[in-house]
Amino acid sequence: MVDAPTAPALTKDPTKAVNVPLALECHGISKRFKTIQALDNVSLTVPVGSIFGFLGPNGAGKSTLIRILAGLISSDSGHFNIFDRSSRSGHLVRKDMSTLVDRADFYKNLSAFHNMQLLGRLTGHDQPDHINELLQLLSLYERRNDKVKTFSQGMKQRLGLAQALLPNPKLLVLDEPTTGLDPQGMHEIRDFIFKIAEEQNVTIFLSSHLLHEVELICSDIALIFNGRIAAQGSLSSIFRDMEEVTVELEVEDTQAALQFLNESKLVKEVNRLSNALGVNIRYTDIPELIRTMATQGINIFSFSQRNRLENYFLSLMTTPQKVPLASLRSSSFARQAENAEAQSVDN
Amino acid sequence: MMLLKLTQNELYKIFSLMRSYIGIVLFTAIVPLILWGYGMGTSHIQGQIEGAVSEMFFIEGSPTNGYTAAYFIMNFFWVHIPFLIALVGGDIFAGEQANGTFRVYATRPISRLSIFISKTLATMIYTFIFVLYFGLLTLGLGLIWHGSGDMLVFQDGILILESSDAMQRFLIAYGFSFMNMALVSAIAIFFSTMVRNAIGPVIGTMALIIFFLMITTLPLDVFKNVQPYMFTTYFSNWEMVFFDPIPWDELFRGLALITSNLVFFLGVALIIFRRKDILS
Repeated sequence: MVDAPTAPALTKDPTKAVNVPLALECHGISKRFKTIQALDNVSLTVPVGSIFGFLGPNGAGKSTLIRILAGLISSDSGHFNIFDRSSRSGHLVRKDMSTLVDRADFYKNLSAFHNMQLLGRLTGHDQPDHINELLQLLSLYERRNDKVKTFSQGMKQRLGLAQALLPNPKLLVLDEPTTGLDPQGMHEIRDFIFKIAEEQNVTIFLSSHLLHEVELICSDIALIFNGRIAAQGSLSSIFRDMEEVTVELEVEDTQAALQFLNESKLVKEVNRLSNALGVNIRYTDIPELIRTMATQGINIFSFSQRNRLENYFLSLMTTPQKVPLASLRSSSFARQAENAEAQSVDN
Repeated sequence: MMLLKLTQNELYKIFSLMRSYIGIVLFTAIVPLILWGYGMGTSHIQGQIEGAVSEMFFIEGSPTNGYTAAYFIMNFFWVHIPFLIALVGGDIFAGEQANGTFRVYATRPISRLSIFISKTLATMIYTFIFVLYFGLLTLGLGLIWHGSGDMLVFQDGILILESSDAMQRFLIAYGFSFMNMALVSAIAIFFSTMVRNAIGPVIGTMALIIFFLMITTLPLDVFKNVQPYMFTTYFSNWEMVFFDPIPWDELFRGLALITSNLVFFLGVALIIFRRKDILS
C-alpha cells in the first residue's frame, strides 16, 4: 500500500486549507505544438477517492494533458506525481495508474479474452481468473471468446475499461470515455464508472466536454481554457458559491406561484416556461425559498436545478481573458472576474 | 523476464496477422512448382553436363540434384524476399499506430526502450524463421525431390562440390542471407517508427533498396567509388560461399558493412521512437 502525499485542499478559502491525500498532482506543465501553446503552466490536484472531472471545450488541452500523464507525449516543462511517484522517475510513475485515452482500440482479429491477456502480460496481470472477473464486472464475460471486430462501439468501450482495470490501478484516467456512444451506451459507461469507483476503490480522472455527464458523476472538477486551468474544486463548493442558479418549478397553481416569486426578495428573476417556472436564485437561498413557498400553501410537484455546470462554464467562457486564470480557484473566479472588470472601469 | 514476455506478445501479434504468412504461403506454393519445373526442364541439360564433364570428373549422383536446385532458387529469389520480409517489419510500429493499439500499449508502465527491443527482437525472430523456412523448403524439398549428390556451381567455370561440403556451404550461405534480411527488417523498422501507416514503410524500404541496387549495379565509373560502401553491394555475397576457396575476407567485410548499417538504422529508429509523440 502506497501512502498518498498530502497537499492543501482546494476549498472556498485557501487559508482554511486542510490536508487531503492526493492521487495526482500536476505542477506547471506546459506543452507547445509548433505555434500552438496547448498547455500553459497547468497545475492541478486530484484528491484520492474522487471522481474528478476535467472539463474544457474542444482543443482546450484536455487530451494533451492526459497524453502527457499517459506517457504518450512529453511535456516541455513541469512535472507530475501519481501518489508518491514522480514523473521524474520515468515510466514507473504510471505503476499505480491506468489510462483509457480517447476511444478504445484493440487487436480486432483477436478475442476479447486474448486482447486482455496480451495487455495483462505486460504487467503480470494475465491470470485467467482475474481477466474473467473483470469481463464479468463489465458484462462481457459471455462474449469473451468472440473476436473484437464483432463488438459494438459500446462493448469496445467497456472492454477498454476492463483492460484499463487489469493492473488493479489506484488511479484510472479516462479521456472522453463516452465519445461516439449512443445515449444507452453513455448511460452504461457512466454506471460502470460509478461501479468501478465504488467496488474497486479507484480514483477516477475523467476528461469530458459533456457538462451534463460530468455533473452527473463527478465530485470534483477542473476547468481548462486555452491550455490554462481556469478553476478547480469540489462540485458542491462550486455550486454553493455560484451567484445564481436556475431552478425549474412545477406547481399546482402557476398564477399564485408566479405572484409569490415576483414579490420574493430571494428570487432574482422568474420566467414562465412551457410546463414550469424558471427561477434564478442564489444556490444557498434555495432551502429558504422552498420553506417559504410551503408555508404560503403553494403545492410544489417538482423542483429541479437545470444546467448548473453549463451556466458556470459559460460564465467562465465569457470572461476568460480579464483575469489571471491560472491563479484562480473554484468559483472565486466569477468574483475576481467582476473585481477585475470593476477595476478596469475605475482606471 | 519482462522483455521475454514483451517479445512473446510481439511474436503472438505477428503470427496472428495474415500478412505474416503471405511470404510463407507464396514460397510454399512456388518452390514445389519450381522444383517440378526444374526436374522437367533439366533432363536434357543433365545429359549435356554429364557428357561434357564425365570424361574429366566422376560425378556422384545427378548433377541437377537438390543442391543445384536450391542454389538455382536462391539465385532467383534473393531480390524478392526483402519485399516479403518488409511486410512485417514495416507494420511492427506503424501498423499499431494506425490501429490505435499502440496508444493502449504505450500507456502501460513499460519503458519505450523495452517496447523497442521487444518489437525488434520479434521482427528478427520472424526474419530468422522466414529464412529458415525458405532454406528448409528449397534445400529439404529439393533433396527429397531431386536427390543428393555432388553440386555443380557455374562460376567462372565449373566447380564441383562434394555433397557434405555443399550442405555446410548452404548453412553458411543461409547465415549470411539471414544477416542481409535482418538489415532489410531494420530498414523497415526504421521507416515504421517514422510514419503512421503500414504501407509507407514497405514502400520506403523497397524504394531505398531499389535505389541502392541501381547504384550498385550500374556500370558507371562515377558510382564505382561509393559501391563498396553500399549495403546492396553485399546482398548477393552468399554466392561467394560457393567459391573455391571461399573469400572469407571479402565475406566478412560485407558482413561488417551489413551489421554496421543494421546498427545504424536500428539506432536512429530507437532515437525517433523514444522521442515520438503519440498523437493518434
